[in-house]
Amino acid sequence: MIKKQFTSNARRARNIIWNAAGDYDFEPPFMAFFPNGAPDHYFNMIIGLVRKWLDIDRIGKFFDSYAADRRSDEFDEYLWLGLENCVYEKESAERPVMERLRKQRAEQFYVEQAGMSRQQMEYQSMPVYTQQQARWASVSGRNLPVMTSREKRMQEALCLSGDLDTDQLLREMADFLKTFFRYEAPHGAALRVRRRGSRGPKGSGRRRKDHFLVRTGTGEGNHPKAVTLTHDGLGRFVPPTQEDEDYIRAVFGKSVLPESETEILNNDICTGADANCRVWVTQGEESDADYKDAADIIARRRRQRELNENFYADNRAAVRSAVKTLSAGMETVFESYLKHLPEASRAGRLAPEKVYRLPVLGDSKVFTRDGEETEKEVFVDILLDASQSRMNSQEIISAEALIAAKSFAALNVPVRVSAFRSLRGHTVLEILKDAGDNDCSGICGYYAGGWNRDSLAVRLIEHLDDDPHMTGKQRIVLIMTDANPNDSVPVAEAGHLLTREYDGAVAVSATEDAVRILRSKGIMVGAVFHGNSSHIGDLHQIYGHSCVRIRKPSQLAQGLCDLMLMLMSRR
Amino acid sequence: MQELFDFLREEGVEPRLLDGVKAFREAHPVAQEYTDRIPVPEYYYYGNNTWELALAALLAGKNLLLAGPKATGKNVLAENLSALFGCPTWDVSFHVNADAASLIGTDTYNGSEVVFRPGPVWMCARVGGFGILDEINMAKNEALAVLHAALDFRRSIDVPGYDRIELQDGTRFIATMNYGYAGTRELNEALTSRFAVLNMPLIKDDDLVKLIARRYPDIDMKICGQLAKLYKELEKKAESAEISDSALDLRGLLDAIALMDQGILSGAALEMCIVNKTFDDYERKLIRDVIAARIPDDLTRDAVFGK
Repeated sequence: MIKKQFTSNARRARNIIWNAAGDYDFEPPFMAFFPNGAPDHYFNMIIGLVRKWLDIDRIGKFFDSYAADRRSDEFDEYLWLGLENCVYEKESAERPVMERLRKQRAEQFYVEQAGMSRQQMEYQSMPVYTQQQARWASVSGRNLPVMTSREKRMQEALCLSGDLDTDQLLREMADFLKTFFRYEAPHGAALRVRRRGSRGPKGSGRRRKDHFLVRTGTGEGNHPKAVTLTHDGLGRFVPPTQEDEDYIRAVFGKSVLPESETEILNNDICTGADANCRVWVTQGEESDADYKDAADIIARRRRQRELNENFYADNRAAVRSAVKTLSAGMETVFESYLKHLPEASRAGRLAPEKVYRLPVLGDSKVFTRDGEETEKEVFVDILLDASQSRMNSQEIISAEALIAAKSFAALNVPVRVSAFRSLRGHTVLEILKDAGDNDCSGICGYYAGGWNRDSLAVRLIEHLDDDPHMTGKQRIVLIMTDANPNDSVPVAEAGHLLTREYDGAVAVSATEDAVRILRSKGIMVGAVFHGNSSHIGDLHQIYGHSCVRIRKPSQLAQGLCDLMLMLMSRR
Repeated sequence: MQELFDFLREEGVEPRLLDGVKAFREAHPVAQEYTDRIPVPEYYYYGNNTWELALAALLAGKNLLLAGPKATGKNVLAENLSALFGCPTWDVSFHVNADAASLIGTDTYNGSEVVFRPGPVWMCARVGGFGILDEINMAKNEALAVLHAALDFRRSIDVPGYDRIELQDGTRFIATMNYGYAGTRELNEALTSRFAVLNMPLIKDDDLVKLIARRYPDIDMKICGQLAKLYKELEKKAESAEISDSALDLRGLLDAIALMDQGILSGAALEMCIVNKTFDDYERKLIRDVIAARIPDDLTRDAVFGK
């Protein structure tokens, strides 16, 4: 019933505990759930109230002290019954609803009991069950179960008084275990026993070279150095082959461009340092291509999509709030820097060219005022770095991109979201949300793996300029990046004896050039930096001042507003 | 208005300040045609320290900027102040498109000629009223620049092509701003420096109980206390960013009590006036959990208000 583990309802359970404790700054050591996974409201309140009235850290240590004993789960159940009575008595004067909640919980016990299968009953510890029955029967005014004298004494002992303080309570709990189970915590046990439910270090994913990896992690933050790819060294480079293209097609889906256009694009932009590369633009539409590794990778991608969606669902309130803040902030930026469309009115600025209408037509709408509408003549491209270095932040990046896209969409600003990574000599741009889509759910398909050849991705986005929503609008490209371009395909340079890897200063310089070209064509470029401090210098080299650093998702709204303000004010 | 003076005396507001207000009222009589602009407050603001600071600022001839998060009673205090000083009031709700014309006035056609149609700030200046500039930080700073001369020592408004008017002696401006609301912006220094800024504290538990009890004198005090605690718990949850502040609505709590007074069961009343203020299913569950931990959902009118 009371577990030291997380479930999908964990956040709700935590909220009930925090609310009862009146403190949101601690991580509850226990949470309570019903067998169907729903949070147990009453017992979560009890856990919170233990925090409110007693020293929950010391009580947690007491629970830990017998963690190695095979009866530990039973002990937990007994002692929580004892704690329940204690904090109930402490709280009920201050919170009259406790009595009713306790009775409801008792009734819930009988509902659960009626719904238990034989198998579940077999798993249930009968002595514990008897004590629970006794507790809830007395609360709900039912007949007590038939109990032995030992069980009756246990029942009495578990009615821990509300007058106890933490020291007295711990003594009572220790006495209970000693009296009825002859259990005494060995000296120093609390220090030796590892906390149950604690997890070992998470796997950081397999380290393989030039392979597409998807972590089935929890999105618990960005660990910049946890996932890295390494170069083979300065070996002989083999240009991408048809087999590589088949692999790309099988893993990422068909190209949205006809073969001939892809070829033209390759000829146009895969030049200079990127001459050995190819590009691939896809919308993730699965292809019929049968490639040996594809099924496994596609399954991992689906798994990551689920994780992204779950992360979004678990943080829906925060996402909604961020969208609201960001769209409002963005609107303020647009209001300040984009022109209001004038509208005719009966008061305001006199429009001389219309004055004749007053005497001739009797039309008093010869004034203009700023209308509600602003021109909003912008088109936003959000470009997500989807290389392997982002593996530990996939859910967060996906949620951030979703927030940004929804915020722009709320203002009727067309926005396209794409992810890029490089693999087997191909720089793949995957369009997660097209400008014409109202649905942003495709962004949950974001997943990380491979390298990132930023210079080629930037050049590629420049050439994707045939979207009908783009016509006559100012293009803005926002790149969510760690400013650490890196690819397995070396820099193509004629006249150099040694091949130079595409990383470090060379890659930064190539990306800087690509961004400069983009800007020279009137496209605004800004970067949202989500990476290691050691790359700050590279960030500024590539993007100049048009960048902001985000350390956590809650900073996104302000950061993006600042970035947009920066870009629009230079317009 | 004697009732409001009595209330402030009970709350322990410095008598010298209240005497000052009385003197102000005597020195600034209101023309008959504007008496219906003097507000009659439904709720009183609780917090004597805040009252004293606000009264002192206004009596010293300063304009007041009430800054604070949602549900701190900014508008209630602004309305209470206007009522206490007995001044006609013009409310201006700011929005992103608010411009100089919407504050000072604009050109219009009266059937025979183009004339000036005065805006609320102009009227306020002419009559010597109180201007309540609500959510002042929603507007662009450029739009607010026209207020600079009115708000500082010059106390005048110059409308190009029309007159320059001096503000009446009794004219005061009370601005409110919520720095947490979406769409708000930083006020520039030039404007902020023209106000005495009062940071509005969150309502205290005891004051909340008093507020509810004054509005609903028949309420069972135990339930009143639980409702106040419920509100504070929601406030804490919103502060911790576990829920948005949509459901943190003092008006909503009072509305829920009003519904209970009409015979609606407590659960349904709180659902309508608090839970449903948010449109996210998950958030609603969290809010229901908080309510369930304080208020049974089947309290009848008799249980809430006594038989």
